[in-house]
Amino acid sequence: MGMKARNLLDRLFSGVGVLAIVVMGLALVLILAPIFSRGAGAYIFKATVEHRRMLLERFERGNAEALAAEAEAVREARAPVYAMLARYAAEDLAGLSGREKREARQRLEEVEDILQELFGPMPGAATPVLPRQQYGATRWDRAEVKLDRLLYVETWDYSDSGSMGQQVLKPRREEFAGTALEPLFGYVETHLEAMLRPEWTFYWGFLTDSSFDAHIFGGIWPELVGTIYLTLGAMVFAVPLGIVSAIYFAEYAQEGRLVSLLRTCVSTLAGVPSIVFGLFGLAFFINTMHVSRSKSVLAGSLTLGMLILPTVIRAAEEAIRAVPHSYKEAAVGLGAGRWRTVVTVILPAALPGILTGTVISMGRAAGETAPIIFTAAVSVGKVLSPWETLTQPTPALSWNIYNLCTEHEAVDEIRHVQFGMAATLVLAVLLLNLVAIIMRARISNKLKG
Amino acid sequence: MGTPRSSRQSLVMSARANLAAALSRWLGNGLLLAITSVAAIGVLFILFFIARDAVPFFQLRGFKEFFTSTHWYPSQEPVEFGALSIFVGSGLVTLGAALVAAPLGVAAALCLSDVLPFGVRQAVKPVIEMLAAIPSVAYGFFALVVFAPWLQRLGAITGTNALNVSIILGIMALPTVVSVSEDALQAVGRELREGSYALGATRAETLLRTIVPAASSGILAAVLLGIMRALGETMVVWMASGNAAQIPDPWFNFLEPVRTLTATIAGDMGEADHVTGSARYHVLFAMGLCLLLFCFACNLISEWVVSIQRRKLKGE
Repeated sequence: MGMKARNLLDRLFSGVGVLAIVVMGLALVLILAPIFSRGAGAYIFKATVEHRRMLLERFERGNAEALAAEAEAVREARAPVYAMLARYAAEDLAGLSGREKREARQRLEEVEDILQELFGPMPGAATPVLPRQQYGATRWDRAEVKLDRLLYVETWDYSDSGSMGQQVLKPRREEFAGTALEPLFGYVETHLEAMLRPEWTFYWGFLTDSSFDAHIFGGIWPELVGTIYLTLGAMVFAVPLGIVSAIYFAEYAQEGRLVSLLRTCVSTLAGVPSIVFGLFGLAFFINTMHVSRSKSVLAGSLTLGMLILPTVIRAAEEAIRAVPHSYKEAAVGLGAGRWRTVVTVILPAALPGILTGTVISMGRAAGETAPIIFTAAVSVGKVLSPWETLTQPTPALSWNIYNLCTEHEAVDEIRHVQFGMAATLVLAVLLLNLVAIIMRARISNKLKG
Repeated sequence: MGTPRSSRQSLVMSARANLAAALSRWLGNGLLLAITSVAAIGVLFILFFIARDAVPFFQLRGFKEFFTSTHWYPSQEPVEFGALSIFVGSGLVTLGAALVAAPLGVAAALCLSDVLPFGVRQAVKPVIEMLAAIPSVAYGFFALVVFAPWLQRLGAITGTNALNVSIILGIMALPTVVSVSEDALQAVGRELREGSYALGATRAETLLRTIVPAASSGILAAVLLGIMRALGETMVVWMASGNAAQIPDPWFNFLEPVRTLTATIAGDMGEADHVTGSARYHVLFAMGLCLLLFCFACNLISEWVVSIQRRKLKGE
């Protein structure tokens, strides 16, 4: 092979490597970008007057007087809609009979349903039981989707039998051509802003409010607290155990068959699939040890603690081994015993490194889902007090992300909550990692002198 | 002036004091060892308790149906527990993930260890760390809510299929593959590299003909660990694999939905939990046991392979 060809191949090879790294970076961006950009929509969005009404009535936040004034303005803007509905019922519907009337009423009910989703219950109607029917669209983006549904009837065209059905949008106005309801659609389309008064809002309550009506309203506070409990609980079990084990491995253990067996066990523990930890937690902590009657934060924390134990051990051992030998020699030279050297010299010197590993495993514990499915997580729950964690299960961010995007009855309705939750969890975990990265950088600077 | 009483006392060498010191040292060592063994005992406990709940299934239903039949009807009479299609599903997505993660990961590791300058390498490290840190449920959420609709727009009949899961699992396994194989490449040392360059080899030739063969066992271990991560992953496959207990037709058709062991355990336990003692409950532990044993095997093989490399590099 000529020199030229070899150099070309060399370049090509480097290019492939760089490409792989670029693909990796791209994957990271592609995954994080939608989660963060749409997750931000849970905190910052155009909130309608219905949102402000909900906040005032449910969380007692907001300016009651300003809201009353707004409500008055909104009522005025909405009045023509209800007038049109009343006129249609009185004039057009009354003139029909039999099947025609039934069909017309059905069409009317469809319109009324969508209007209720947009503006809340009709004036004069009894307050519905379900919160989701008590309020109209609280978010402008959802309101726009509902407006589309009001303006267009969605039908499917199956005439081309070869392919899948084609979606056809037909203006709903045509269904009501010539009736008192015909102008309603144009009116709603042009006056929607006046009827809902959207304003850009920073809804910090998404983090600190409880949710109600299956997460359709409110925030993620119980999930957040649950995640914090589980994470801290796991740390309480794993960190002391992990540090002691690391001390043993790094300072006491004489390399031999027993120690290498122990090491193999630790690395095997690290390789156990997370769902198996969940099964184990169920079979051991709950069904055998009976640490709690059924799922509880305690059982989940113990399971998570076992899951992160190998990570903590490895990080702590590495940190302890990184302490310069001269420290130890100085301590021993001053007459300190082995244990005293460890406690007074080596541990303080290794502490930042140990903390780094701890912080990273904290992120791991916060994000794990599979181990807590059978041991700690429930879909709906309130904020627990610290002693209730011994016996009660809790909602948690990771579990509820799964739950809301697969098992919720109105998945599309609460996309913003799902994204908000995912973004919050990912951000928390990444921040923990960032802290660890910064700490590590400072340690390596310090060790360099 | 005078030395404190206690320290003067510790200098006194009496037989009793010696014995006490030896005893306390011995006790202390034992205590440390005991605490350290928690992790080891944990592994044994996991194996024991999963096996304890898995054995009743095999007693009730035997082995043949579980491993050879594709009829998975755990909840309708007559119950059938043929898990073959689920094993195939797990294997398929793991294979897919390995096909994504192994070439990308090894190429990236080569590039990181030998091609890129130090500064760039430091900048790439956090990217890998972030990929490793993102919780699996967030990956699953992305796969289901963002990635599946993309795939569907590209022409797949359903977005929640083996391809989707394979790609996402591959990305999740990347950090493991990259960091472990980079370690293996670094462990090869300067001498081999310098020797190869001195003979006039280009960088590509040095890496492919000298360094990669020398580090091959470490790279194999990296891929094995990545495979383990993909096989054991639950949330992504549960959310985005479609959960259809069927063998794709043909078997390598990645565009069909599949169902994996992990997702079956996660998904069926909710219904099976209150019938503790039934085959329905124990079959999930049987699956857990299969997963566990496979991961143990992978782990041991990778450790063994790494130790071989270490010995080889030391010996040469």
